[in-house]
Amino acid sequence: MNPEKRLSIVAIACLTTCTIPFVSSLRAAPVAPGQNKSAKEKSNDSRPIVNNSSKYEAVVRIENSSLNPDYRTPWNSGRDSGGNGTGWLVAPNRFLTNAHVVSNSRIVYIKKVGDAKPYRAKILHIAHDCDLAMLELEDPVAFEGVKPFEIGELPQLDTKVKVIGYPIGGERISITSGVVSRIDFLSYSHSAVDLHLTVQIDAAINPGNSGGPVLQDGRVVGVAFQGYSGNVAQNTGYMIPPPVIRRFLKDIEDGEYNHYVDLTMSEFTLLNPAQRAALGLPNDGLGIMVAHAEADGSAGGILKTGDVLMAIDGLPVKSNGLINYEGEDVNMNEIVERKFAGDVINLKIWRERKPMVAKVTLKRFLPYLISAKKYDQKPRYVMFAGLVFQPLDRNLMTAHGIKDLQVRYHYDSYVSDSIYKERPEIIVLTSILPDSINSYFSSYSQSIVDMVNGVKIKTLKDIHTALQKNNGDFVTVRLLGNGRPIVIERSRVTAAQKRIQEKYNVLRDHYLEEPAKAVD
Amino acid sequence: MKIPTPLLILGAIMPASALAAPASAEKSVVRVNTTMQAYNLIQPWQKAAPSSRLGLGAVLPGGRVLVTAQMVTDATYIELEKADTAAKAIAEVVAVDYEANLAVLKPTAKLDFLSDRIPFELEGRLQPGDKVEAWQFENNGTPVTTEIKVSKAEVSRYFLDSSFFLTVQASGTVQYRSGSFTLPVAKDNKLAGLLVSYSSKDQVSSILPASIITHFLKDIEDGDYAGFPNLGISYSQTLDEQFRNYLKLNGEKGGVYISKIIAGASAAAAGLKAGDVILTIDGKQIDARGNYDHPVWGKLSLSHLVRGKPFTGDTLKIEILRNGKKQPISLKLIRRPAENRLIDPYMFDRGPKFAIVGGLVFQELTLPFLKLFGNDWKTRAPIKLLMANANPEMHEKQGRRKLVLLVRAIPTPATLGYERLSTLIVTQFNGKPINDIKDLHEASQTPQGNQHRIEFESYPKLIFVDVNLAARVDAALKQRFGTIRRLD
Repeated sequence: MNPEKRLSIVAIACLTTCTIPFVSSLRAAPVAPGQNKSAKEKSNDSRPIVNNSSKYEAVVRIENSSLNPDYRTPWNSGRDSGGNGTGWLVAPNRFLTNAHVVSNSRIVYIKKVGDAKPYRAKILHIAHDCDLAMLELEDPVAFEGVKPFEIGELPQLDTKVKVIGYPIGGERISITSGVVSRIDFLSYSHSAVDLHLTVQIDAAINPGNSGGPVLQDGRVVGVAFQGYSGNVAQNTGYMIPPPVIRRFLKDIEDGEYNHYVDLTMSEFTLLNPAQRAALGLPNDGLGIMVAHAEADGSAGGILKTGDVLMAIDGLPVKSNGLINYEGEDVNMNEIVERKFAGDVINLKIWRERKPMVAKVTLKRFLPYLISAKKYDQKPRYVMFAGLVFQPLDRNLMTAHGIKDLQVRYHYDSYVSDSIYKERPEIIVLTSILPDSINSYFSSYSQSIVDMVNGVKIKTLKDIHTALQKNNGDFVTVRLLGNGRPIVIERSRVTAAQKRIQEKYNVLRDHYLEEPAKAVD
Repeated sequence: MKIPTPLLILGAIMPASALAAPASAEKSVVRVNTTMQAYNLIQPWQKAAPSSRLGLGAVLPGGRVLVTAQMVTDATYIELEKADTAAKAIAEVVAVDYEANLAVLKPTAKLDFLSDRIPFELEGRLQPGDKVEAWQFENNGTPVTTEIKVSKAEVSRYFLDSSFFLTVQASGTVQYRSGSFTLPVAKDNKLAGLLVSYSSKDQVSSILPASIITHFLKDIEDGDYAGFPNLGISYSQTLDEQFRNYLKLNGEKGGVYISKIIAGASAAAAGLKAGDVILTIDGKQIDARGNYDHPVWGKLSLSHLVRGKPFTGDTLKIEILRNGKKQPISLKLIRRPAENRLIDPYMFDRGPKFAIVGGLVFQELTLPFLKLFGNDWKTRAPIKLLMANANPEMHEKQGRRKLVLLVRAIPTPATLGYERLSTLIVTQFNGKPINDIKDLHEASQTPQGNQHRIEFESYPKLIFVDVNLAARVDAALKQRFGTIRRLD
């Protein structure tokens, strides 16, 4: 995964025609009661799709009730919603599905083929970076004796696959079939920043299929998870292939999900003979140039701009960034993909016309998360005198539709300009709850807070502390890109705070904690 | 076929004694026909298709004609035409100020072309309630007079985003005749201003008033045009009581807070600082919104005190509050020329500066370039370029006079693999820092080996181009484009 590079490609494309298609995730849509009824009525007079449904006992329907936080009113509990998807038995009382099927979950039920009863389930692990989740039944008795699926290998191109699940178009289990169309390294739309190995198939995948197994010779060779909407591309469904599934299963073996690691570098192709000559390389199509290695990332301090990456764990890297791995041409990041935090990769480098070797100990790189969609987290905020302060991330940008140039720059360049070092969190004055204490401030919302009472603000906790500290008659808030500070008279704050909380129904005036997992 | 001669005869028999008569539409307004052709900003080696603009000019003493600057932007050919006789003369620009939207023309060859016309006198004393006349012509040359009533004046934007000047508003229906871009406005047969825009919805006309015209004409008298001074500050209102208490402004009536000082203009030179509060300018009290009481127009923006009357080089007395203490400041008015800014705010009558190396097109960033991204350029243009536009001091601190961009790569054998690169800020070329397009051209003449080494501020940071291949490609491109660089 390499969001930095991906972002720059999108930016270039947008200059011309903005043709990067939008990958719509197969988020299960809530089924309206009316629809439910008509579907049932229909099934009475139409032949069941599956005669021997017990064959598919290990494929389950998952119904999730969610509570989606509203970043515009972060003090509220959120909006109730829900949806359904598919899951499958991977081990005794272990059901695998997509993270997006059970995100922001309040309550999850699993339904078995031919069994009307919903069984209460709990989320054991949820991996938003690879869109997988592991569920467990509170009472597994209904699935005793049901054989879990085996996981197969990465399927070959043009081999047949079957997709099983509970998509829209009816209530009962559905099966579609097709072939493996393409194997590629693509974006996972659930987090929007992660890229992993992905297999494209031409079997129909529809909302509700998410999390369901894709079978070949009776074994699972993929988890159906996303596709394009019909008016963008046809017969283009995507599944999560076995290497990604296996990595997830291995990661949670110790009882904890530890996320993907990243090399944290961007690379540039070496297709121009002049580049190769300048760097002293033969014109043999091997090696890719390091454009930038982020200082605080795994490769920081090891790789530098102008280095050429020749081989990764012994596999030669081609000038377009591909390696031949297990018989397939895949992105060189595939090597990093299979590793875990603390693992080491061996690099062959060409630096200043000399070969070198380097070992890189891999770790997770958190600053990338600023542009990831976030789930299962309660929005954090501070409300002071009607001014609402929140840390900048993708959810915030989307919810508030922020146009301010400074905010957009800090969001876009947080990693590439190493802003994360100066400000681990970018605190934005997102909105103002109008009151007499702030009636002249309305034009200052959606700006970044630089300082409060002379203290530089680097985290949400910083601003909370600085605002509470009683050091003078005035509270001054300086915003980036705006020379005029916001000034509040300290003596007026207590009364205003009480008034605003009552008027706008703000139960708590701040929430600073890192969220605990909101399951159940 | 009949020859339409009557108009010509009329012109010929007009007695010379008419010069003593007051100005009139017939005798003091001429048609101005301009052909304009801007440069193509994407392909800077070529010009866009020519277009034309037909407007009106006011005859001034000395055989000159006053028009708006908009009439002559990127002009390739200017013609003066007498409405009555349809006699024509080629003209040239004597002086132009795009910020003030004014230009003076004179005939290029027929110097006595306007000797049978009556020059305008200027009338600077407008006030609300005044009835003025907008003058124009029918197609057949008959003068048309429309009476409109002056309602108010305010400091507002002229045709460039960056320039604010006094504008007078008048109400009343004005029917536009063709060829009437810019109408002279007369009061008692004297020139009261130029009608620059008209909203048919509210029937309100905007008039560039004679006071600004006089300022412009006085400035060009000595042949050396200094231009209107810039104060060079951003300011905020001080209406908020909490803010006033914080600034210790409680005892004062008004005042505006200086939120930013722009380098190179008057305020910076006079030692004003962000955080100062301006209380008075030229003895006039500035209120909390940044206005002062003008004897005729009422509340007007303080910027009119800086640009309305005084000239570049004059000194203004102002009073500020700094750290709660009043302080007089003597402010010498200077002007930071537009071309000295990191990002040129406008570009007329000249092509964009550029240089091609092996098919890589390098260009200096300008505001017109940013506007190529469409009406919503403020959200669509690359964010690093928008940041540079909003905070030029970021780059100026590093010694950059201009921002040089790799605008795009024309696919050539030398740019193989670079086809998708665009709008990247160039930091170094062949190891030399790049502070304007000339730097880049000079650096491209001294490669360190067989490859040009080009470094960018962002991804992919570093590329190389073969020197010999680039030279061959450039020779071929020169054949195709005519020119591969414009450095001045």
